[in-house]
Amino acid sequence: MSDAAHGAKPAEEPEKELAAGPFGQFLKEHGINSKRLPDHSGAVEVIEVEGKDLEAALKRLRNSQETQLNYLLTITGTEYPEHFESVYHLWSYTSTKELVVKVKIQKTAVAEGALPVVPSIANFWGAANWHERETYDLVGIRYSGHPYLRRILNPWDWDGHPLRRDYKQPVDALNDKNPHSMR
Amino acid sequence: MTLELTSPELKTQEMIINMGPQHPATHGVLRLVVTLDGEIVKHVEPVLGHLHRAQEWQGQNRTIFQYQALIDRVDYLSGMFTSWAMARSAEEIDGLKVPKRAEYLRVILSEMNRITSHLLWLGTYLIDLGAMFGFPFYPFREREKLFDLFEAVAGQRMMFNYIRIGGVVRNPPFGWFDKLKQFLDEFPDRIDEYEAIVTENPIFLKRTQGVGYLSPEVAMNYGMSGPCVRASGINLDLRKFKPYSVYPEIDFKVPVMQEGDTWARYMCRIAEMRECVNIIRQCIEKIPGGTTEELRKTLGTTTPEKDDSKDLDPEWLLMAKKQNAGLRIKAGEGFSAVESPRGTIGCYVVSNGSDKAYRFRWRNPSFCNLSALSHLLVGSPIADVMAIFGSIDVILPDVDR
Repeated sequence: MSDAAHGAKPAEEPEKELAAGPFGQFLKEHGINSKRLPDHSGAVEVIEVEGKDLEAALKRLRNSQETQLNYLLTITGTEYPEHFESVYHLWSYTSTKELVVKVKIQKTAVAEGALPVVPSIANFWGAANWHERETYDLVGIRYSGHPYLRRILNPWDWDGHPLRRDYKQPVDALNDKNPHSMR
Repeated sequence: MTLELTSPELKTQEMIINMGPQHPATHGVLRLVVTLDGEIVKHVEPVLGHLHRAQEWQGQNRTIFQYQALIDRVDYLSGMFTSWAMARSAEEIDGLKVPKRAEYLRVILSEMNRITSHLLWLGTYLIDLGAMFGFPFYPFREREKLFDLFEAVAGQRMMFNYIRIGGVVRNPPFGWFDKLKQFLDEFPDRIDEYEAIVTENPIFLKRTQGVGYLSPEVAMNYGMSGPCVRASGINLDLRKFKPYSVYPEIDFKVPVMQEGDTWARYMCRIAEMRECVNIIRQCIEKIPGGTTEELRKTLGTTTPEKDDSKDLDPEWLLMAKKQNAGLRIKAGEGFSAVESPRGTIGCYVVSNGSDKAYRFRWRNPSFCNLSALSHLLVGSPIADVMAIFGSIDVILPDVDR
């Protein structure tokens, strides 16, 4: 029963374009395009930016006096049937503002056998370093320009990315008596 | 004849040593690859993942009802907070309103959990510093008393599975609130006792004051939270900052220190334990329906479990969602966080309306706090490595999940 729902989309996307929220407006004033996404609870602004604009957008949102989104909670990688998402949850140490930034990569744009690529923000934001490593490790999103993109939770020679929908656990992966194992 | 130590050819050589994974002071299994120049740490690389239990994978491959029982293991010293973070995100997606009595029970049990967590930290931290004279057992004495109370209400001493989506599972048994009040009466004296032994102890001060300074800028850059940042002068406590549950109704202070060193982190946690006592006292006063005895007297029933009385005030209920194996939440996505003893613990749930979540993501305070460790340790002597590492209160299952 529940397995059938695995491939389903988690939320219905409405057709109409949403008006930009305060953060979307702020980014637009600084020449960065973003798209407002529907949010379930309505309390938090969710925007989508292009991968190439990500660094500029997050630097702006982090450093500007108006926004001060200087608390990076987490970076999440999610695999959907049609696309990958890299989700940035931003809060602030000084105000109660919050924002969710998403970068989407369509699966059709990813070459066979290659990993989807998102620009890294670890060079200017220390908190992103380990989150990006973890997302690379578990979901298999490659963060280009990361200073040390190496598996963090799995062993360095692990095969595959466990949170992918098509991931198959190697049966003998942890058996060091097996000559074909990765240990 | 004197040796010419200033000769240009004579230089020191860097040495790489491996601390862990089975180092007794790492509270779990963490490996630190430390590069040393003499006694001074030049570079640290933490190697994680020895305790990786694929919690996020399990969240996607177990039903939500099954997974509720597992998430206490994410951070086993503060299971209430992990359950609470997950319950809050599910309630946010579902639009559930939790009954007041359940919220108060959540706050009481969570603050008790905060005390047990800080007590364990206090005992083990003193061991990390080399205080092997029996003090570490003092906090464990009080911790056991709280565990007895947990056992009476949740059925488990550590892996509670008490806070569920929509509320809490049961009312405390008869006499439980009296025992808790008795504990609260004696606990401040016990904290005084710890402070009399530790706070002014010259050895402790030498080992901690000025050691492991964390500047607010570094803390913000690494996304740190909890007592670590509050000891560095950042007033980030979600209970005040983004109030949730019934915390707005409770009068309490958030201890903030400016020093930013190991000692300040210790003082912050001690002050927090005192505030916990204050919060629990107020909750017992304010809880709707009163203690279990008072509630049963009003309802005219005799057992603590029965909740199906017709004239029950909706605020006195415990659960807003039916708990059964087919438990499902609406489609949507939500992120919610609570203030755990280690900092902001959050849970990002993407649900597609089935009985399994589409994506589970944990935001663990230990993981983020630990990422600043390499920055904190560089330049300090090797003897301080464990003093600094212990002071940020990392729980390895919380790091590795």
